[in-house]
Amino acid sequence: MSSILEEIETKIAGLKTSTTKSNIGTVRETGDGVARIEGLSDVMLNEMIEFPGGVFGLALNLEETEVGAILLGDATKISEGDEAKTTGRLLSVPVGKGLLGRVVNTLGEPLDGKGEIKSETFYPLEKIAPGVIKRRSVSQPVQTGIMAIDAMIPIGRGQRELIIGDRATGKTTICVDTIISQARLNKAAEDSRDKDYRPLYCIYVAIGQKNSNVARVLAVLEKEDAMRYTTIVSAPASESATNQYLAPFAGAAMGEWFMDNGMDALIIYDDLSKHAVAYRQVSLVLKRPSGREAYPGDVFYLHSRLLERSARVSDEYGGGSVTALPIIETQAGDVSAYIPTNVISITDGQIYLETDLFYQGVRPAISVGLSVSRVGSAAQIKAIKQVAGKVKLDLAQFRELAAFAQFGSDLDAATKARLDRGQRIVELFKQTQYNPLPIELQVAVMWAMQNGFIDPVPVERVKEFQNKLQDFLETRKESLLASIRQKKQLDAELEANLKATLEEFSATKPVG
Amino acid sequence: MQVKKEVRKIAREMLRASFTDAQLDRGRITSVVDSILAKKPRNYLKILEYYKRLLRLEAEKRHARIETTTALEPQIASQISLNLARRYGTDLTTEFVVNPALLGGMRIRVGSDVWDSSVRNRLERLQQQL
Repeated sequence: MSSILEEIETKIAGLKTSTTKSNIGTVRETGDGVARIEGLSDVMLNEMIEFPGGVFGLALNLEETEVGAILLGDATKISEGDEAKTTGRLLSVPVGKGLLGRVVNTLGEPLDGKGEIKSETFYPLEKIAPGVIKRRSVSQPVQTGIMAIDAMIPIGRGQRELIIGDRATGKTTICVDTIISQARLNKAAEDSRDKDYRPLYCIYVAIGQKNSNVARVLAVLEKEDAMRYTTIVSAPASESATNQYLAPFAGAAMGEWFMDNGMDALIIYDDLSKHAVAYRQVSLVLKRPSGREAYPGDVFYLHSRLLERSARVSDEYGGGSVTALPIIETQAGDVSAYIPTNVISITDGQIYLETDLFYQGVRPAISVGLSVSRVGSAAQIKAIKQVAGKVKLDLAQFRELAAFAQFGSDLDAATKARLDRGQRIVELFKQTQYNPLPIELQVAVMWAMQNGFIDPVPVERVKEFQNKLQDFLETRKESLLASIRQKKQLDAELEANLKATLEEFSATKPVG
Repeated sequence: MQVKKEVRKIAREMLRASFTDAQLDRGRITSVVDSILAKKPRNYLKILEYYKRLLRLEAEKRHARIETTTALEPQIASQISLNLARRYGTDLTTEFVVNPALLGGMRIRVGSDVWDSSVRNRLERLQQQL
């Protein structure tokens, strides 16, 4: 009896599948990467819509009589009168470790000619950020390898640190340095089979960039063997505004996979100014009401919901994290423009790069006074805190005194000492691009500075002294560096060891 | 922008006034249009155009288009019309179209809902699944 019932059930199931119910509409107008469709009574917000010829769209405007959709593929294939169909799916991208080492577009399709991407997991582009229950505070550092940042504006895993500055001030370089630093650390931990080290995977999202810039970043990362841990999501200037608008969300989805699986990811959004411009274009073409500088009313929410997705989740939920380094390009140093103020208020601090400093040769051109990290100091390792605790204050005082000292030549000894120290710190923090320093070297160099070993060196030869010291430490005092790396703090024994090493080095008269 | 809002609002009110017992009423539509033409309020042409569009969309919701590869027998056709009317209300209009491109089976569209049991659709689905 039961077998007959089963047979009937399967027959019914077969019948059900032979007729499909769908919800369709008719394209009323199309142009500028947008289609307006009549009908589609059951469509949901952000749902994918299928057009003939395999083109997909995304329903962004649900109006009284029509639906406004942005097109993800070749818009020229669609013409008036075409039928559009709802799919019941949200736009998703492939995620997982299969994406490491690859260059993909907004939809996760490969652009590097290295074949298909093997991934069985897909994540939706738009996802609500983790709530308060799932989160915990930032406690682990992101070692950028840039001394000025690691010492003064530390970044923690799960933090959102804005990098802001005019064009050509080295914003992208800081990010590339950070990626290289992570690759070196990941590789070192892999080689030494260090199970405690949590590798940090990087995702570089290029939005509205020149293709040549993306190619240059890729070339640098490949040269430094950093692509093994990196994914590049590229939506260059030649892509449609739709793809540029969606690219950071695709990057965030890829990062979230790492976080959900208890791993750490770092996402660089290069840059959010162009992202806002792309979104403005999409919104204006969709005839949404415009506000200040013609940006739509929800441009703040656009960035806040994106950046809110970076988080550090608690150990019960896997303990993963997504760190975000959004970039904003200012016009003539104006941080009070609309988009910069929005993103400054969303993020947990900013690294401000100044054109003047850049041309004075202070590179990275970080402005100490305007840069801040609101949560990162909780994640600094103790050794760095011990040697860099007062550096930011020293430098700020130096800048003030330097401006003041220009007017008079008679300075008391204390002021002069402070000026001398300041000049030397500025020199120490100069760093060539694509050359991140390991944290133990940073600690040793800063310890030397704090304890007066660099004071006798003439300012113009500080860099030479530093390079020689680094060589000396790396070649002859590897064990000292290793113990700083392991202990993560300076105890009496280490300090004595450092003192002896520095005295030995100074005795060789490195700069004559 | 303000004008457009006003136009939409009036046209929507006109549409609301065009129903009796949740069905479009020809007599009421005529009287609504006549009253607008008599009063000639500001932007009345735009109002009428927008009203026409709303009416068209409303009529499409109550129109069934039945596509088959060959012409249906009158008995089956009337049975289908009856079944659809039972589901969507008695004011549903039906239109029978012969479309050989379906290859076989039937496709019914009412408003934006489509029931597709055509061979073409099944082949397309098979293609997607493979």
